[in-house]
Amino acid sequence: MDVFNPAFWTFVAIMAGIYVVLALGLYVQFSLAGLPNFGHVAFMAVAAYTMAILVVRAAMPLPVAAIFGLVAAVALGCLLGIPSVRLRADYLAIASVAAGEMVRYLATNLSWLTGGPLGSVGLLGPARFVSYNAGWQDLLDRLSRALSSVLGSAATPDRAMLLVVWSLAGALLWVFRRLERSPWGRVLRAIREDETAATAVGKHVAAFKLQALLLGAALGGLAGLLLAWQIGVFSPNDFEPTLTFYAYLILIFGGMNRLWAIPVGAAVFSLLYTGTQFLTFFPLSLVDSGSRAFLRLFSVGFLLVLFMMIRPQGLLGNRRELLLEK
Amino acid sequence: MLLEVRRLTKRFGGVAAADDLSFDVEEGSITALIGPNGAGKTTVFNLISGFLRPDHGEIRFAKRRLEGRRGDIVARSGLVRTFQTPRVLTRMSVLDNLLLAAQDQPGERLGLGWIMPRRVARREREIHARALEMLDLVRLRHVSDQYAGALSGGQRKLVEFARALMVMPRMILLDEPMAGVLPALVLQLLDHVQDLRDHRGVTVFLIEHDMDVVMSVSDRVIVMDEGRLIADGPPQAIQNDDRVIEAYLGPAAQSESSGKGPRETPRG
Repeated sequence: MDVFNPAFWTFVAIMAGIYVVLALGLYVQFSLAGLPNFGHVAFMAVAAYTMAILVVRAAMPLPVAAIFGLVAAVALGCLLGIPSVRLRADYLAIASVAAGEMVRYLATNLSWLTGGPLGSVGLLGPARFVSYNAGWQDLLDRLSRALSSVLGSAATPDRAMLLVVWSLAGALLWVFRRLERSPWGRVLRAIREDETAATAVGKHVAAFKLQALLLGAALGGLAGLLLAWQIGVFSPNDFEPTLTFYAYLILIFGGMNRLWAIPVGAAVFSLLYTGTQFLTFFPLSLVDSGSRAFLRLFSVGFLLVLFMMIRPQGLLGNRRELLLEK
Repeated sequence: MLLEVRRLTKRFGGVAAADDLSFDVEEGSITALIGPNGAGKTTVFNLISGFLRPDHGEIRFAKRRLEGRRGDIVARSGLVRTFQTPRVLTRMSVLDNLLLAAQDQPGERLGLGWIMPRRVARREREIHARALEMLDLVRLRHVSDQYAGALSGGQRKLVEFARALMVMPRMILLDEPMAGVLPALVLQLLDHVQDLRDHRGVTVFLIEHDMDVVMSVSDRVIVMDEGRLIADGPPQAIQNDDRVIEAYLGPAAQSESSGKGPRETPRG
């Protein structure tokens, strides 16, 4: 891959935008309401699979299937949240890890429904390759044609996707910024700080936590849909638990409890993650590409550790806030 | 009677932290709950405020049954508590700590801020004005923008006190409100407590270890020991009650003490 290939950087920027939506969901749950969700990827997977299955099997129009995808993600949130929001946070952490893995294993093993390890191309069995993505490609084509009147030949479907993803991400950031600053957001922050104190002043803690969990689930589902449309084909391996941790990295990187740090964190993370692919020069050129792949992941981890040592509050975080005991 | 407690019992394993307790708190009174360490006072508060579920017994507040109800329902019905170790929201400003506690803010419902922004904003202004008034009351207005976590233990007690008042309680449960508060402020706080009752009609029920405070401020004193109620009456009668002196100082001390009343070192 060429460093100066613009198509590559468009791809990186689209992924960064999808990460913004994903991390925003986690922000609502974890940074606002203090809910440790370690299975965020499950909401992505459930939404993506629901959408793809409905498009391919039920021949549903894409927008309708997408809405059902989001509903499925929220339903999973209910399943996970209703029994666990009344319990201590640690139980939700465990339940959510398990939910994330269960969704992935179910997707791998319920071949008749999900296409199994083959993923979305095998939705109707291994003999007939199918795609759910025609509707989305159509939409991007039309959008890029519409844009070409303004942008000329610079308007490509990829760039249309970039525009869609980042407009969506920007709009959602704005909406949640307003929610965060509303009295509703104040109650959530109070719950994050001390549930007992929030209860003592008359707030129904479990209800607020469930709201945050479900909003986060819907955002996770939306990120899953965008990812599915972006990559065109997906399999259970695209919903590894590491995705959840990327979202956490983005929150930590940008600065905990800072909404506007999410796009910054997502940009830095994407640069770090993809940029290290170009570390092919001497002395790294001495090792073969297989070992370099491991070196690359190692260097991502090393840079992260170094960063957290130097700047534990993240790029835009508040160090004083970090030092205050809870 | 504003608060009526009947045969309240709570056991932890073999220990009865509240053992068949019955007492009343009269509307508009300042009632103190005292007893040696481990007598079960805080358990009683936790039971009344909905943070613990009793094994048996009834709790009636303003004629409404409250036993086993959730803590937030109890608080919304006008019975608000504070904690022995103050629970401030450390990474929120002092002002936000108070704003949070106000009731009837429609903006706390998800999305209502969009549907009725003006009502939310109007209520927010009312709440804000009231919060500043409360901060003036506890002399903390100068730190209103600081993180609550940056305050001293005594200041946190005051924040919690002010926050409880923001709920507009009919009755307030104060768990050792004076412990750790600057002595000069204790007198002020005492004034506030009396003012609450006299001018705002708030009933006060407090746990306190400082006997000077208890004897000077309260209309009635309830004494507990090992989960049981051992005395209940006006402060003067309690001071000379043999069983109270015994509970505090042991049977041998009974003959030595005369009229001085029980005293205990506060537990930090």
